[in-house]
Formats: sequence, C-alpha cells, structure tokens
Amino acid sequence: MTKRIFIFAFGAMLAAGFFFGQTKPYKVLAIKSAKIIPVVGDEIDNGTILIRDGKIEAIGKEIDVPADAQVFEAKGLCAYPGMIDSFCFLGLQEISGVQATVDNRETGRINPQVRAIEALRYDSIHIPISRSNGITAALVAPTGGLVAGQSTLIKLDGWTNREMVIKRSAAMQIEFPAIRGGRGGFGGMGRGQAAPSDPAKLIAELKDLFHKARSYQKRKEFAAKNPALPIPGFDETSEFLFPILKGDLPVMISVHSEKDIRSAIQLVKEESLKAIFFGVEQGWKVADDLKKADIPVVLGSLYDLPPVWEDGYDSLYRNAGILNKAGVKIAFSSASASLAKDLPYHAAKAAAFGLDEKEALKAVTIYPAEIFGVDKLMGSLEKGKSANIILADGDILETRTNIKKVYIDGKDCDLSNRYTELLEKFKKRT
Amino acid sequence: MKKFLKHILVCGASFVLAALPILSAGGSLVIKNGTILTVTKGVIAKGDILVVDGIIKRIGENIAVPPGAKVIDASGKFVIPGIIDSHTHIALAGTNEGPEAITPEADVGEVVNADDTAILTALSGGVTMVHTMHGSANPIGGPNVVLKLKWGKPSEELIVPEALRTLKFALGENVKQSNRTISFGGPPPRYPQTRMGVNAIIRREMFKAKTYMEEWDRYNKLKASKTPPKSLLPPRKDLRMEVLSDLLRGKMVARCHDYQATEALEFMNLAKEFGFKIACFEHAWEAYKIADELVAAKIGISVFADSWAYKMEAAEGIAYMAGYCAKKGVLVSINSDSGERIRRLFNDASKTMKYGGLDENEALSLITINPAIQLGVDKIVGSLEVGKQADIAIFNKHPLSAYTRCDMTIIDGDVYFDRAQYLKDRDEADKKAQAPKTNGDRP
Amino acid sequence: MRVCQRLCIIMGIFGLVVFFWSASADVGPTYAIRNAKIVPVSGPVIEKGIVIIRDGLIESLGPMGKVAVPDDAEIIEAEGLVAYPGLVSAHTNLFLDEPKTTEPAPSQPDFMMGVAQPQPVEFAELLAFRLLKPKKAPLDSYLKIGFTTVLIAPSKGIFQGQSVIVNLNGEKPEPMVLKNPAALHINLTTGRGTYPSSLMGTIAYIRQSFMDADYYTNARALYAKNPKSMKRPEFNPFLEALGPYLKDNKPVVFQCNNMEDIKRALKIIDEFKLNALLSHANEAWRDAAVLKKTPIPLLVTLDFTPPAGSKYVSQGEELKKKAEAEIYPANAANLAKEGIKFALTTLGLPDASTALKNIQAAIKAGLPKDETLRALTIQPAIYLGVASQLGSLEPGKIANVILTKGEIFDEKTVVDKVFVDGLLVKF
Repeated sequence: MTKRIFIFAFGAMLAAGFFFGQTKPYKVLAIKSAKIIPVVGDEIDNGTILIRDGKIEAIGKEIDVPADAQVFEAKGLCAYPGMIDSFCFLGLQEISGVQATVDNRETGRINPQVRAIEALRYDSIHIPISRSNGITAALVAPTGGLVAGQSTLIKLDGWTNREMVIKRSAAMQIEFPAIRGGRGGFGGMGRGQAAPSDPAKLIAELKDLFHKARSYQKRKEFAAKNPALPIPGFDETSEFLFPILKGDLPVMISVHSEKDIRSAIQLVKEESLKAIFFGVEQGWKVADDLKKADIPVVLGSLYDLPPVWEDGYDSLYRNAGILNKAGVKIAFSSASASLAKDLPYHAAKAAAFGLDEKEALKAVTIYPAEIFGVDKLMGSLEKGKSANIILADGDILETRTNIKKVYIDGKDCDLSNRYTELLEKFKKRT
Repeated sequence: MKKFLKHILVCGASFVLAALPILSAGGSLVIKNGTILTVTKGVIAKGDILVVDGIIKRIGENIAVPPGAKVIDASGKFVIPGIIDSHTHIALAGTNEGPEAITPEADVGEVVNADDTAILTALSGGVTMVHTMHGSANPIGGPNVVLKLKWGKPSEELIVPEALRTLKFALGENVKQSNRTISFGGPPPRYPQTRMGVNAIIRREMFKAKTYMEEWDRYNKLKASKTPPKSLLPPRKDLRMEVLSDLLRGKMVARCHDYQATEALEFMNLAKEFGFKIACFEHAWEAYKIADELVAAKIGISVFADSWAYKMEAAEGIAYMAGYCAKKGVLVSINSDSGERIRRLFNDASKTMKYGGLDENEALSLITINPAIQLGVDKIVGSLEVGKQADIAIFNKHPLSAYTRCDMTIIDGDVYFDRAQYLKDRDEADKKAQAPKTNGDRP
Repeated sequence: MRVCQRLCIIMGIFGLVVFFWSASADVGPTYAIRNAKIVPVSGPVIEKGIVIIRDGLIESLGPMGKVAVPDDAEIIEAEGLVAYPGLVSAHTNLFLDEPKTTEPAPSQPDFMMGVAQPQPVEFAELLAFRLLKPKKAPLDSYLKIGFTTVLIAPSKGIFQGQSVIVNLNGEKPEPMVLKNPAALHINLTTGRGTYPSSLMGTIAYIRQSFMDADYYTNARALYAKNPKSMKRPEFNPFLEALGPYLKDNKPVVFQCNNMEDIKRALKIIDEFKLNALLSHANEAWRDAAVLKKTPIPLLVTLDFTPPAGSKYVSQGEELKKKAEAEIYPANAANLAKEGIKFALTTLGLPDASTALKNIQAAIKAGLPKDETLRALTIQPAIYLGVASQLGSLEPGKIANVILTKGEIFDEKTVVDKVFVDGLLVKF
C-alpha cells in the first residue's frame, strides 16, 4: 500500500513539474489557425507554423502536422516575427538616476576596449518587460565620449548573459556630438543652444586613431615574422580599434546634424568602414547622400523634441518616411532600458507621419536583422530561421495590442515581469 | 406714457442682451462629418458640431452652416474634446523657489509666460488646457494656475478663472534633495533631508498658519467689539501664512507630488489632522498599493502611463497602475510633466487599454473629463457637450491608435493649430529658400 | 521805529544768508553763444539766435539782434552750429563702485528654518550717491555724445537702492548732485542662489516688503504716540527706508525686463498705490493696450537685446536676427505711433558709442527725430521732477547746452561744445 502511495506521489510530483513550469518542453510545436504575418512574403490567413529544435521547420496554410506535435491553437491571434530593438540599454541600466545601477557610460573619451556584454545584467527588471511586449532581440550599446565601446546583439532570453549572445561584439560605437547641448531648441524645459558643429576636428582625431591602429598592427605583424624586431608595447586602443579597419567589425556611428552626417559619410568612404548610422535626426536633409553611400540608419527614439526649430515640430516623426522613400534602409530603436517595450510605437508614430505601415513593421523586424547581419537567423517568419515568433491579438505596432505568446528559439517564454509581479501582489489585497 | 417708457426699456435691454454674444470672446465654426467622441455622451459615427462665439451650440447630424462661420471638414477624422494636461510646468517664467523649503507665497499665476514655444508643441498634440505648476523642490511649493493655450493672446487671457485654486505640495526624493551631491565643508544642507522631516515641516507650517489665523480672529473680534483698545495694532500680514490659511479654510485644495505609498498615506493623515482637502496625488507611482484608501478618501491621481525607473522611488511604478486604479474607482488622469511628452498624451492614454484593460472611452477620459473634474472645470470643458466651451482636437485616425496624428486644435472656437496650414506654410518657405537668388548670380 | 528795526533785522539776516550762500560757491562765467541755430525743445526753433549763460543758468535766449550781449560775456562763435538742451538719460548704472551682494552663511540654528544660505542682502537704504566714483574717460565719452545729466541707480539686488540725479560737471560727486535721493529702484529679478531665486518669489517678496513697511510705519507711529502702551517695535533699516515710498508718495522705479514684467509691476503699483515709473521696458510696445489704459511714466531703454524668454528668439535663427536688427529697435517708434509717451535711457548699454548707435537705430526704425530729442530732454526731466530746472533751453533753467556741427543724431554729426551748469567743458 505504501509503495503505491509512494509511486503515486512520485508520479504526481513529476506531473506537477510538467504543469507548473511556464515553459513546457516539447519536441515539435505546431501553432495553428493563426493569421501569419511573415514580413517577408504574403500574409497567410489561418496558417500553421511548425517548430522543431528551435527552428521554423515549416510554415503555410496546409501543413502536415506530426502526430507527436504539441499543438497551440492560435485562432484569433496574429503571428509575427519577434521584434528587434536596434539600440538600447537593456541590462546596462536599472534605475537611471542611481549611478550604482548604470553601466552604459564609461569615463573618458576613447574606450574601444569596453564591451557591453561584459556588464550586461541578464536579470534586469527591464528585459522581461520588453520581451513580454514582443521584442525578442536587441542591440545593447555603450554610449558616451568619442569611441564608446563595443555593442552586443542579444536575444531576450537566457539564464546567463553569455547564453543571450547572438553576436558578442555587434559593432564599435562611435559618437558625434548631439545638435543641442541640453534638452531644448524647441521650447519645453531647457533651452539649449544649438552647439556649433565642427566635424573636421573629430574626423581628424578619428583618422589619427585609425592611423595609429594600422601602424601598430603592422609593427606587430613584422615583429611576429622577424624575431629581431622589438614587439610593440601593448596599445589597447589600437588593438581594439583595428577590427573595424579590417572590416571584421562594423562601426555604428551616432551622428545627428546634416553637416556631421555628410562628414561621417566621407569618413566611412575614405576609411572603407562597414558602417551603420544611429540617430541621424537631420537625415531627411541628406537622404540621397545616405542612399548613395548605402549606409543603413538606425533611428533614435522618437520621444524627443526636434533639435532645431527650423526643422519643424514633426521633424523626428517624418524623418523615417523620407529616408525610407529615398531608399535608405531604416530600423527603429527604443534608445532606452525602462521604455524598451515601446519599440513598436516609435514605428507606428513614424507611420502616422508618412512612413508606409508595412515598411514600419519591417523596420522593427527584417531590416534590423539585415543591418546586423543576422537575417538568416531572424527578422521574418521563414522556413529555416530561428523560431522567434510572437502571437498577438492584433497589430503589434498598436498600443492596445496584447502579446499572448513569445517564442525565442522555439522556447515558450515566461511573460511575467516586474509589472505583473507587483500587480498580482497587490491584487491580493482585498 | 409710463407703459411706453417701460416698453422702450425692455426693448433696449433685450437689444443689449442680444448684442452681448457678439461682445464675448471666441470664434464660430462648424465641424462637419467627423466621428465625434463626446466622452460623456457617447459616439456619433458621422456628425457635426456647431460652435458660436466659442461655445458648443449643437452636436448632431447635418447641421446647417450659419453665415460667417468657418467650416472644418472632418470627413474620415475623429473629433474629441481638447486634451487637458493636469501636470506641467510650461508657460511659466520659473517653477521652483528652491532656497527655502516652504514658499506658498510664490504664486505661479504671477509669472505666466505666454511667449513659451512649448505652448506650440502642446497644441500640435491636441492639448488645449494645462494645469501648470510649481516644481517639486519644496514640501510646500505654492499656488498653481490653469491656462488655456491660446498662443498669441496676452497672458491674462490664458488664465482660466473657473478652475479650483490648487496648492502644490511635494514629498520624497526631490524635496529631501537625495539626488544632489553634498559638498563637505560647505553650508549645511537645507532641512528637511528625510521623509520624516518633510512631514514634520509641513506640520509645523500648518500649526503656524493656525496660530496666524487665531491672531487675526482675535484682532478682528477686538476691533469689532464695542470698546476696542486704543493701541490696537493688527497682526503683521504675512503672504505665506495667508495662502496656508486659505488652504485650511477650504478655499484651496492640495495637489501633492508623491511616489511612495507611505508618503501618500501619511500626507492623508496630515490632511485629516489639519482639515484640508487633497484633490490629487501627482505621479503617485505606488498608488496601486493603496487604491482602496484613495477611493475612500475621494482623492484622485494624476500620473504617467509608463515613465518609470528613473529614481529609487519610481522603481515600483508599473504600467498597469493607471488602468488598475481607474477600474478600482480612483479618479485618474494621465499627465505629461514634460514639454515633450505633452504632445503624446493620447498615446499614453491608449496604453491603459493594454495595461489595465480600460475600454476606449475610459482611456480617453483619462486625458479629458477626468482632469477636468480634478481641476474643477468639468462644467466648461472636458467633453463635447452643448453649452461647454469649444475646446476641440481633431485627429486623422482614432486618437487611441498608435498610428494617429493630431491635425487640428481648437480653443474657444478659434483654430490654434492646423497641420494642413502648417504644411502649406512650410512648403512655401521651402520653395522660397530654394528659389534662385536674383542678385549676384550672373556670370 | 519798530517797523524800521524789524526791516533792518530782516535785511541783515537776508544779507548774511546771501553772503554765506554765495560765499560758498564761486560766481560762474558769462557766455554769449552767437549765430547758432537754437532748438529749445520747449518752444519754436530759432534759425539764427543767441543764448546768454550767466553763473550756471540760462539768462536769456532769442533771435540775433533781439537779445543784447552783456559786457562781461565771453563770446562763443556758433555760426553753423546747432544749440540743444543737454541730453538726459533718466536711468543708468554709471560711475558706481558697488558693494558685494552676498553675506556669509548664518550660524547653525538658522538652517532648521528650511532656509538655504547665503541670505539675500537688500539695498533699499543704499544711496547711489555714496557709491559715486566718476572717472574722466567715461564721463567725457558721454559728454561727447551730448549727455549732460544722468540718473544713476545702483544695479544689484531686487530692492536696488535709491538713485541720484547728477550733472556731468566733473569728477567730484557733491557738485554734480541735482537731486538726492531721486527715487527708490526695484528690479524684477531674482536673488540667484538665495531667496528669492524665482520671479514668483521676487514678486511675493516685493509685496511682503511693502506690507511689512506699512505695518512697521504704523507700529512706529503708534509707539511714538503712546510709548507706554506697547513694547517698542524693533528698528529695521530696510523697512525704515521703504516707508516714505509707501506712505509719502515718493517715486519708485520698477525695472521691467519684458512685457509681462510691465503687467506684474502695474499690479503691485496698484495694490500699494505707489507713485511709480517703469524702466527698461524694451518690449513695451507689446503692452500698448495696457499702457494706454493705465498711463504711467516710461523710461524706455535703448538696449535692444531681446529678453531671454521672448518668442522672437525661440522660433529659429531668422526671426531672432530680425528681432535684434529690426523688431526691438522699433520699440520706441511703435510706442510713439500708439501715442504713448516715454523717455529714452541708456540703461544697460556698455558705453557711449553704443548709446549713440542705438539712438540712430531707433530713429531709423521709425521714431521721428524731434520725438527722439524730446524723449532725451524734456520728457525725462518731467518724469524725474526736474522740469523746472532742465530739459529745455529756457531762461532760468540750468545752462546745460550742447552745440553740434550738424543736426543732432545724424550720422556725421559731432558735438562741438558742451556746457554743464554753465561751464564750458574742456576735453
């Protein structure tokens, strides 16, 4: 009798283990009856997605679903690719006003050696919140100074920071000054004056650093080949800058004014850099130049005032549409940690001011994937790509839409977060 | 003869009365064929609004256009009450009197700045009225003022006289100067530097105000008595104490900046101890923890949708808060407290549909009728109803859609923001800038 | 006999007074300025005339031939020159050696009041006269562009102090003084780091100060009448100084740095029924409606720097440039068009050459030349209560006369000679 009870209890515990865990392990998952918006390719009404080993094995209207497949009935829901935040501070900032919790800005001006991944707090309160709104990958970047450091591309799921890595070093962050000193230029709090733009000095400084890096590299090579030559002393800056000159690492250049953008385009050409531009608030003035130079643009947060009065009250809003129409590849970013969940709403805001709605969706999915060179893995719902899928009860760029399911590499992710924890806690107070 | 004169008088009086509307301020216009979201009286799928001299005279279908009225074609567009931002600091020449902790004598109504271009920013986001306030440097800041954003009009015409008189209080980190670096060896920091001290200093000032009121009562009694003493000198009139006395007499209501739940509960205790009314807690990021107490005390909250985690006391602010408290029966408004966020209040309001489960009308109320009630101006604005002032915003899509855009903002029947006109002006300016110069270009 | 005696005594006393009075000052020279075009301001232009100066005053003036040249007169040949009254700048901060504005932090117990340090120091009792330190070079620069009289007020604080009106007749302060004190000066500014540090705090502070001055004066009067009835009110030099301006209608000048300040000042002036003038006011044209409804003496500065918060400087570079070059220089012209009276001042200008340049700019912007002249002569004299002594060329008035080669304020015009208090200035 006791043996039976023991077996029953053991079995119950096992079963409990299966049912209490949020993420249910499966071999094959079939998401059925969803309206599929793959972003690349046509929409599929009432379609099915088959996931195996973290990849999309099949996707379509009529698909053979294996017998042992776990099925999720997604009637009434829309399936989208998980969104990608092209510039944020997730994991590097908890409480922005409390310095002890902020790690995105190193002191000094030239810091190519610092890596965002090495400070990434994977247990940040902000990551689950962003994930629960359908964001499945993000570029986490350091900021500040002239060379801020190496950004990292992560998926928003993992038990350690290294588990989250998609690309350990996604880009070298270089920054030109903002157009205005403080918040201002358009009324509201703060009345910053437009800082005079002198890109020539910065360009000269960067070229000098690049030159030093190249010659350092050469001396290292020669010393390696010829033991008679002295080994150059370790030059940290040159060591970590060199990959961008080889073309192994893209640069993400934070650049804002029309004048600076032009100078940056010139620099990229002269130094043969693989470049992505970030911010680009006056990009609409030089859209053709950006297109000609084939430089993709990650837009900064649209939650800001125009940098100069003359650009117009809607300049940040209409920027994306103008760039997109000129053929420039664009992506949106939250440029935040605590408001990273708002990524889709920046895209919608741009759509309100002229950006085509389908392009807006692409700018938070496939375009960032292409920009960071991971479009074979993510950015759209296509066979062979990672199963980064979100199921929503409407258009994911709409503020009222609820995300019901988030799959990252096929894993059914926990959607609880700081908001839901505190809400549930105080709901208990009757 | 008498009857004839009486006749003349009546005729004359009625002539004058009939002429009065022409003397009052405000424009006349007809908005046609829009989807009208009245907020308090339902939705009209396709309707018109007639405004005469700044007042909404009719809402319905197929309204005839009176001669001289401007016609606004709202086909395919959404018409809502002008948005009310119940917590900002725009249009003021200064917001904090920081060197002293208790400064209710400093009245923001004295420093309205109608030249502030933040007004234009707000208009572009459909905002027609703001409650512009002291900052949060002081436990007791001072009186605030409610303005209509009538750009181009003299400052005195912006002030809304019907609004409740509000007194700004603040608790927590800003007041106790937590986020400032203390210089060692310099002058001692300003008291109070803890939340205990904040409450104590407010209590102290309330006691002082009560003493002040007693002194004046005593003097007034003596003066009114049959034999007032010869050397009767009135007490010194103190502007600071006058304002606090008004609060204690019920002539003003408190609007208190707070974050932590304990702060709010203890401030409510202070209000009970001294008998003053709290209209609203500002920001109140932990209000969801004390929703029941707020409902019971009939205290509203004026909050962000989701701007949080910038200070320790904002670390437990959840995006569900506005919606959750609204569902519990707290009077909730969403504010901007920012010259940038002010133009996205409709986006912020829409977030409560997702975080909180509010329906469209409940969400829209957060930026229209609710702040109006909190400010005591719900009889004149906050919804589209016949008889209310014509503060109206027109959006090209549903205002709670993330894809929407404000196309026109109207105050008292006059158009203060018109995107179509703005685009036309910009096009012309661009053409002029690109036109070849007529001098010095010949080879 | 009795009548005779009385008369003798009176004559004797009178003689002694005259003796001591005139014995204290040298008798000034006599000049006859001949063949000049004379612009008296208070009367019609005299194409070719003569002005007689004797012992500091204008003795007489008139067309050539109508006025006799006294035997003791030094002849000043003024053929081709124009004679004007010396110019008056009714508000400046010139020639002052001003004190520091902060005091050391108070001792420990005070900070519990919830008050930051340092505490403000207000200067209501400060007399500009005590700070006068005129230097030759700047003095001469203003004389050379035609200014002979200026009001000098301290420049620091909210209650800045009490001004003095001086003639620019040398470097020694006492002989310069025309009127001391002239007025109490209040500036709608902030204390910067001390209370009040915001404009709304300043307004409350000004109002409270006047209320306290009222209370204080009443308390002192009550005590004086019946000292046995109450404890003596504590002496307060600040309130003591404010008293006459509140109770005895002495003039108060409010410096209004933008259009809103004008309305704010008018509110305070009305509340306390002050005898007030408004100064700076370089946006006054924007308040034309208000100023027409409540006329008040205006001392309008020639400093065209747009106020920091003006909408003309926060809506793009083009408008800002236009504001500096056209809109603000047209302030006076617009006021004149509205029929609003004003005097022009050099308040806030760095030097005399800027003053002249800005006068010319105001004229270019549309202020008629004769109105400009009035605004720099008789109008300030009226506002400052010295119109019986200055502001025009009339017999009996102080001989502040300038002779110009060319019409005044014209591009190529230079000031040829300057007389201050009847003395020819030597440059």
